Amino acid sequence: MWITLLIAHGLAAFMLLGAVTHQALGVWLPARSKSPTFVNRLRSVPPASYVNAIVVLFLTTMILGGIIYTNYRIGARLTLERARFWKTFGAFELKEHIVTIGFGILPAYWYFWRAASREESAVTRAMLTTVLAFVVWWGFLVGHLANNVRGLGT
Amino acid sequence: MRVSPSYAVFTVTFAAVFSLVYVLAVEKNWALFSYAPATGTFAPLTTPAAAGPTMYWYGWIATAAIVAGAVAAVASLLPERLAKFVWPGFAWAVPVAVLIAFGYLLSGYFLR
Repeated sequence: MWITLLIAHGLAAFMLLGAVTHQALGVWLPARSKSPTFVNRLRSVPPASYVNAIVVLFLTTMILGGIIYTNYRIGARLTLERARFWKTFGAFELKEHIVTIGFGILPAYWYFWRAASREESAVTRAMLTTVLAFVVWWGFLVGHLANNVRGLGT
Repeated sequence: MRVSPSYAVFTVTFAAVFSLVYVLAVEKNWALFSYAPATGTFAPLTTPAAAGPTMYWYGWIATAAIVAGAVAAVASLLPERLAKFVWPGFAWAVPVAVLIAFGYLLSGYFLR
């Protein structure tokens, strides 16, 4: 069961990473031309269309991670401590808190994308997207790193 | 989509207060409940596990969410002339400050 949950958590995180990265690029580096290059297509997405997917994927990923965390706490975490992998250990501790802060900004993120006035809230919207993108990238990279050190089933 | 302006005050206040209360909950261990992963049992407040480690993370989130929800609900009742002083930037500036604080609090792991 743990392996299935971990794979589901990883897949949800992967989709979330893609969605929030697209949105952040669309906000900060929107495409100015219709050039058919890969990078231009990446930047030309309508950022607002990702909002609901990002909220749902964030909550799904966090809930799955929260369940798996119990197994990490009695298994992998002890291994990291015994082996003195302090940087990985600390990065994962930070992940726990960073993801929680991301959870706290979700209502504001949703509001400023879906309901607030477009022009007045552009900066707030961009900053919330940036914070959320940082949260998701940190969570994804550190989760991957910790799993490489001592993943489920190893 | 039409959403009441008081919802804006609610979300901004929630984001800021949630971040602040969460970092305080972690530092002061204000967990609403604790969880013992070895036995799969929940206990109120910071009750230590009978066996294995004790997890407080869920309890810290619950504490922060309840306090932030209550404060944000009260803030959303502010009359419009006062609500306009709630800067939307609090929704990201306070969480960013708290993220920096966590980086500082846990920096010891990266300096060993």
